[in-house]
Amino acid sequence: MSVALATVVGGLFALGTFLLLRRDLVRVVWGVSVLSQAANVYLISMGGVQPGTHDTVPVLDAHGGAVPETTDPLVQALVLTAIVISFGTTAFALVLTYRAYQENETMDVQEWR
Amino acid sequence: MANDLVVAPMLVVLASIVAMLALRPRPRAQRVASVAGSLAYAVAVGAVAWLIVLSPDAPGAATYQLGGWAAPFGITFVVDALSAFMLTIAAVVGLAAVVFSVVFVDRANQGVFYHLLFHCLLLGVTGAFLTGDLFNLFVWFEVMLMASYVLVAFYGGPQHTAAGFRYLVLNVVGSVLLLLAVGGLYATTGTLNMADMSRRLADPAAYGIDPAPVVGLGALAFATFSLKAGLVPFQFWVPGAYRSAPLPVAATLAGVTKKVGMYAIVRVYFTVFAGATVGISVPGAAGASPLAFLAPALLVMGSASILVGGLGAIACDTLDEMLAYSSIGQVGFIAVPVAIAAAAPPGSLRRLGLVAALVYALHHALAKSLLFFATAAIRSATGTHRLSDLGGLASRAPVLAGCFFVGSLSLVGIPPLTGFFGKFLVFEAAARQFTASSGLAGGAVIAVVLVGAVLTILYTTRAWTRSFWGRRTPAVEGATVRRSQVAVLVGLAALIVCLGIGFDPVFEFATAAAEAALDREGYVELVGPAGGDGA
Amino acid sequence: MKTTARIVVPIILVLAISLLLQGHNLPGGGFIAGVLTTVAFALIYVAQGLDYLDSGVLGQEVESGAGVFEHRSVTAFRQTFMVGLAVAVASGFAALLFDEPFLTQTFVIVEHLPLYHELEFASALAFDVGVYMVVVGVLLTILSVVGAE
Repeated sequence: MSVALATVVGGLFALGTFLLLRRDLVRVVWGVSVLSQAANVYLISMGGVQPGTHDTVPVLDAHGGAVPETTDPLVQALVLTAIVISFGTTAFALVLTYRAYQENETMDVQEWR
Repeated sequence: MANDLVVAPMLVVLASIVAMLALRPRPRAQRVASVAGSLAYAVAVGAVAWLIVLSPDAPGAATYQLGGWAAPFGITFVVDALSAFMLTIAAVVGLAAVVFSVVFVDRANQGVFYHLLFHCLLLGVTGAFLTGDLFNLFVWFEVMLMASYVLVAFYGGPQHTAAGFRYLVLNVVGSVLLLLAVGGLYATTGTLNMADMSRRLADPAAYGIDPAPVVGLGALAFATFSLKAGLVPFQFWVPGAYRSAPLPVAATLAGVTKKVGMYAIVRVYFTVFAGATVGISVPGAAGASPLAFLAPALLVMGSASILVGGLGAIACDTLDEMLAYSSIGQVGFIAVPVAIAAAAPPGSLRRLGLVAALVYALHHALAKSLLFFATAAIRSATGTHRLSDLGGLASRAPVLAGCFFVGSLSLVGIPPLTGFFGKFLVFEAAARQFTASSGLAGGAVIAVVLVGAVLTILYTTRAWTRSFWGRRTPAVEGATVRRSQVAVLVGLAALIVCLGIGFDPVFEFATAAAEAALDREGYVELVGPAGGDGA
Repeated sequence: MKTTARIVVPIILVLAISLLLQGHNLPGGGFIAGVLTTVAFALIYVAQGLDYLDSGVLGQEVESGAGVFEHRSVTAFRQTFMVGLAVAVASGFAALLFDEPFLTQTFVIVEHLPLYHELEFASALAFDVGVYMVVVGVLLTILSVVGAE
């Protein structure tokens, strides 16, 4: 599980960094958004997945049944917040891209004045 | 009573944001409400500072649990002397900037979302100074940044979208790094509450945690904070963003938002990480506290900022660009004493370093706002702020010239202005560190600070002689100076002079703030996170 | 496309409302419900065109020359945003009136209702409604203004 998560985080960061360094403005916005997602996946993985006990899932104590694996709910709350923020940022970056295109009539970062 | 006061500044800003939105159809009422809102904010901050920290029977610090959820589970707001000091800076600069915006920024531009965004910026700053929760700090950073993105990208002149875009992309990368640090610290210590984290790091064995990752994670957070503060090597967004933003906003960015970065460094390193000991030895870092790792990095970055900012400012040919570079250098002057404090053993030198940094932060916020506003007044009078197009303003607009002169002198550090005390304390800290360690590094620090002071004199003199002395240029000849703008300038200049003459209370406030930053146990006890049995 | 929108849009809207109502203690909440509602509106825009809301629903003549900011729907979106922010902030202030910390929430369970048997009213719902309106207002303003470019 953690190996898979680590691979995903690493891959996303690599992809995000690669996109961020492109000349095409839209790719840069993609890079920004991929980087934020990479951070979100990383945050989720920081919570860890633990074998559940009746201590961690008290509701099952009274109702019986097998206890599943549990994750930390706090990091999920953090990730929700982070997603909303990166959503707003990406929307704003897209608007800026459009405006930059109108002003400079090019999507190429290096041709900006 | 005192506890309820803690959120007062935040509630005031929230109320003014709603008022800004509701009054959007009536621009005139909106402007009035904006000034009233920032005035109310200043009053609220003043009440917080007086009733919680300064008055003789004040508790000294207070906390507030948002939504009634107890620490460490809920979000804690904390006012101690450090927060109150920074809030005071924000309130003064914010009030001045709003008033100046009303008389400077285009009526059409003000009408849209200008005042709303400005109060959002203030909201983010307030939250960042108040919060006692690491993730919440990240959220307030984002609130502050969102507002500043829009102000930088849309309210400058044309062709500033590129600068806005660079500012945005850099800060998103910074936020991602901060998120990594916050997540990692949570995984390491099992908490996000700063007081709880501080307690756990001070006694890692009792809580079964290994504090070693804190060094690396702290470095990630440090990188983000110094990006916000605009320290070298993260300074390259500063000139572009400051030139794109409307000048009153640039004054707020330089005066307040940069200080949020410095505040975060001080709060996180001195209040949260200081108690930790990690078993890693790195060449160049004495001791085993994360502070010892901060000191050399911050010292090098601060010194480089002083040099880069000073040299950059000398080469500029417009006033606003010069001020932008100058603010890089001046943040260096704040960073160097913080680094000295981090390197020093706990005691009077460490406190002196922080006091120097705080006094310098206050001085820089006031002087730089005054200079940015003066530049704005010059531009609206003459239509230009290119040094080559200016000249002879001193005889054309003596009051404006006087205000610019006060700002420049304060920046240089001439007594009795606030800048003198800022520079003096920085030099004292550097000198005492030199006598304490008498190593090569100590001497180099003194040399850099001296060179930085000389560079400040050079670029302010250059700006002064080029734009205020000499033969009047056509632009200056046809200048019409607006009285309302000059009135704001005179107010700020008078404040700088008054604070310089009556410096004692400022110094006491700064000392209390430095002590609050260093009083790790007091902070933990104040917040009093539950569940302290280490189980 | 139009047929699909006609069937799917009501389903999405109902789902959004159910997410909004259960948000205080089950997955859901103001933000996600707002995003879903926006998706429904986006479908209408894609299927029927940008002027449909003004000409077809509100019955207003759309002058092709007028800027998008004068559209009645866009004005309505902006007002939604404003009211939403006011509601969210006010719901936080309300706790102060009861001498509780800012943003404190509570809930009551009403029993013996016909049909529902029991129903939980959480004060967090007021905040959620505020968030919902903010999200819907902002996203739809952006969508219609940028879409009109």
